[in-house]
Formats: sequence, structure tokens, C-alpha cells
Amino acid sequence: MTKTIKNYVNGEWVDSLSSDLIPVYDPATCELLANCPDSTAQDVDLAVKAAKGAFNEWRSTPILSRAQYMHHFKVLVEENFEDISKILVQEHGKAIDESRGEVRRAIESIDFAISVPVLMRSDGLEDISSGIDETTLRQPAGVFAAITPFNFPFMVPLWFLPTAIACGNTFVLKPSPQTPLSTEILFEMLDELDLPEGVVNLVNGGIPSANAIMEHPDITGVSFVGSSPVAKIIYETCTRNGKRVQAQGGAKNYIAVMPDANMEASVKNILGAAYGCAGQRCLAAGVAIAVGDAYDQLKDELTKQVQNLKVGYGLDETSHMGTVISDAAKQRIEAMIQQGVDDGAELIIDGRNIKVDGYENGSWVGPTLLADVKRGSTMATEEVFGPVLSLMKADSYEEAVEIINESHYGNAASIFTNNGKYARDFKYNVNAGNIGVNIGVAAPSASFPFGGQKDSFFGDLHGQGSDSIEFYTERKIIIERWV
Amino acid sequence: MSSLNTFGSILTHAIELESSLNAYYTSIDKSDRAKAADKRRKKLERVRRENVVEITLEPIEGLDEADYTLNLDDISEAGQTAIEATASQFYSDVAPKINVRQAQRALERCGQEHAEFAE
Repeated sequence: MTKTIKNYVNGEWVDSLSSDLIPVYDPATCELLANCPDSTAQDVDLAVKAAKGAFNEWRSTPILSRAQYMHHFKVLVEENFEDISKILVQEHGKAIDESRGEVRRAIESIDFAISVPVLMRSDGLEDISSGIDETTLRQPAGVFAAITPFNFPFMVPLWFLPTAIACGNTFVLKPSPQTPLSTEILFEMLDELDLPEGVVNLVNGGIPSANAIMEHPDITGVSFVGSSPVAKIIYETCTRNGKRVQAQGGAKNYIAVMPDANMEASVKNILGAAYGCAGQRCLAAGVAIAVGDAYDQLKDELTKQVQNLKVGYGLDETSHMGTVISDAAKQRIEAMIQQGVDDGAELIIDGRNIKVDGYENGSWVGPTLLADVKRGSTMATEEVFGPVLSLMKADSYEEAVEIINESHYGNAASIFTNNGKYARDFKYNVNAGNIGVNIGVAAPSASFPFGGQKDSFFGDLHGQGSDSIEFYTERKIIIERWV
Repeated sequence: MSSLNTFGSILTHAIELESSLNAYYTSIDKSDRAKAADKRRKKLERVRRENVVEITLEPIEGLDEADYTLNLDDISEAGQTAIEATASQFYSDVAPKINVRQAQRALERCGQEHAEFAE
């Protein structure tokens, strides 16, 4: 019998009050892995009540003890590393190395939270006036929530949860209903920590629980990662309800390739950026813009190297690329490829209709390469969220920067060059929140904020790094005189 | 298609190689060598966990598992030397293909340990 995932509220695994279930499939084998409840506003309310009830005890737990909990948490994740990675393959479809990379990145976020006693420390001045001292205190701000996506179901919750609770807040997580299994194991480990009841809570589900989080009066702040249209709704709804919010949206990430770049090394890196996680990441490279003479060389090298990528079941160690998340995603991506062709692009490598032996019904889309993509066309401007790389030509470096900056997205952009002048100008003038120089996936490590501009980010304080400490704390200024 | 074409497939092959050597040396009562193999296995598992980042996901070419098959049925001294030589060759071939220095160093050291037994 297929199991139904439970919620985790007030330190206990509990059934959702909803009888509506969302099936969770392995996108390669099509096996029904579990059913995810579509939790209700009442489920969210129970979780928030538990979190609110736990807040006072948790905020007064010594900060060194809170950091120790995170240390033990890290040990548990290391011990369960391979099991988590395998679950990620099954529920998401990505390759095993990509899953391991995701768990590694998640651990980096726990490492960051362990250092919270240093990060929360504040400053002060004596004698700002005669006999008067002034200091700043950072205090936890209450109950926080996160609504997280399917593409990194283990890592993205850990961008938020460890730092939030290490700062003394309590937490409610609502993961994607497409990938609730890795979050279940995440909460099994949190359960092993013996945190006070209510410090961490899990509500599984879709739109009803997301709406309830956005509107709940006892939630101080909400973190979100997902598509831009939804990020905008989350931002507007949360701010209207008086919450602080950080909402990371979608992306169209461009890579400029200069004629002086080391083409073979650059292409290896670009392949990972374009086709890693089957292109289902907000830092995926969607467009490579070859400048001048680089075009033919880049096209030839890409054509050669893309063919070396092996598409296969994620648990096969030799697979470079797994499935996309669902059949619906596959159909959407394939329609976008066709749109690219209809708009006049040259289809160099077509990833549609590929078959993987033993997994014929899986949601496969192979690595796809479109060349001569026209400026302003759908493939040049809109997010695919699939393994499709569009190749464009720019006559000059300046034109490449113009193409990048006219995008309504601003998540990431990279340049491959051996010329420091171009690299500096790129960092200086390109309007994207994460910039790569000879790096295809400009993914900030946990101690740096995850950038994002324009329609790729709604909010003021980003996830990760020093921004996350600001987001999860309230500053209080103390001015005192003793006579 | 090479069967050792990813960071994970190389590290997993190395882990399995050390596991099989642990069993091999245990079966012929060479406990020091068995322990050394088990220690390398644990180290390689940690290396696989700690060094799998975006940059390691680049495709790797030119390596085939079939080139490093160990004849574990041969328990003679000469057979042991041949096994160690094959293991050493495996590590010296794969280390340069890994583009993370910490992982590369671990593979090189495993190779050196096997080379000592192969002499």
C-alpha cells in the first residue's frame, strides 16, 4: 500500500486534516512513491500555533546550545548522505552526483548556521554623549516560514531553516508536493535532535497551505523560491499582510563567450551549467552568446561535447543527466523547443523523443542545442527550465551585454574570457545578481547572499549569508545612562 | 561510452575496489592490508561526500572500468602483487581526471599506498 506522507507538528508526525492527496511519482520509473496530502489552512494554523508556542522557550535557549543542535544536525546529514542522495534521485529524477552535490550544498548551509554565535553578535559605543552608552542587540523575530520548490528539495529548505532556528526563531516549512520525500527524511533527522516541540514544523501540500502561510497573522516572515509570477504573488501578498519576505523567482541566465576564451575548457563548464539537473535550476545557463569569431568555434565544440552526455536513470553512476520532473514539464519543454524552431533557430541537437532502455515511460528530454537563436525570440528571452541551450551571436562584447541587460530577469550571468578588461567590465555593468567569470554556474556559497535582481528577486534581503541574519533577526538599539 | 565517466562513478569504483580488497585480504589472513583497504574505503567515501560540487560534474573521458579488473581468485604472492599494481594503475590514471585538488590528492595517496605493495 502506498504511504501517505504525514505533517510534522509540535514534535509529532500527524495526519493532515485534508483527505485530498497529490501523487508523488518517480519520473524515470513512473512508480508511485507516495501520496502527499494537500494540507489545509487549518493544518497551517496548527503548525503556526505550535511554532508560536515554542518561541519563548527556544529564543531563551543559549545560543551556543542552539549552535550545538545544528552541529548534531550536520553529523546526521553526513551519516545519511547516501540515503538522502538516493531519495532525491527517485523523487526528482536527477543524476546521483547532482543529488550528492545538492546534499553537500545543504550541509554548507548548516555549517553557516553553526557559526551563528559569531554572526549574531552586535556592536556598541561607549560615551556617545557624556555618560551615555549605546549598543545594538539582535533578537530573533518570531515564527518564520518557507515555501520551497521541487528542483532542490533538500537544499533549498536548508538555505533557510538552520539559520532561522539558530537565530532563535521557530519555523514552518511547506515543501513542493512533487518532492516531499527528501523533506520527510530531513524532518526525521530534525526529530532525532530532540529540539523542543514546535521549533520546527512541516506542512505538506500545494496552493491552499501556501495561501494560508502568506495570510497567517502570526508568521513574521516568509522565504520563497520558485517561478517569477508566483514569487511576485508571494511578495505582494506577504507584504500586504505585514510580513517581511524574500521571494526568489525564475531566470534566463546568459553566458557570454569571448573569442579569447579557452574554448574546450569553457564548453565543459557550460555543459554543466546548461544541462546539469536537466536544466531545472534557477542558475541554469539558457543562452550562450558567442562574440564575433567565437561563434563557429563554440558551436562546433558544443555540438561535439553535448553528444558525450549520457542520459539515463539517476541511480546509474554513469548517467550525466536524468529526467525532468514530470510528463507535464516534458511536454512544456518540448513545445518550447518547437517554438524555437518555428522562430527560425537551427536545431543542432534535438532532445525530444529520446528513449532510455528500461525506462521507456520516463519523463526524458535529452540535451538540446539550438543555434542562430534570434534576439528577442522566446528562446532568447524566456525561461525554459529544461535541458535546452540556445546559441546566439553578438558582433561585439557591447552587444552581448546589451542582450543580457535587456532581459527582464536578473538572476545570473557569466563571461568566459582570458581578458581582464572584459571580465571587469562584465562585473561592473551586467545587471544580474550572481556573476560568473569563467564559471558557468555562479552559485554563491552559503556564507554569501544568493543574488538576484529584476524579476528574479522580490524583496530586500536575500537568502543565505549576512542577509539571512538580517532577515531572521530584529535589531534593537539600547541607549543607557547610569547616574 | 566509458564506464568511468563521472566523478561519482570513479569514486564509487574506488570504494568498491577497496571493499573487495578488504574482503580479499581478510580471506587470506592479511589483516594489516585488510585494515588499510578499509581505511582507504572510508576516506574515499568521505572524499565523495565532501568534494562533489558543480565543477566536478563535468563529463570525464578516456577511462574504462574493464581496464582495472582485479583477479581476486589468485591468492599467490605474485597474484597479490599484480592486484596491487592494477589498483595503483587505476589511481594514477583517474587522479589527473578529477578537477578538485583535495579529491585528486586522496586518489594519489591511495595509488602510492598500492604502489608500495606492488613492488
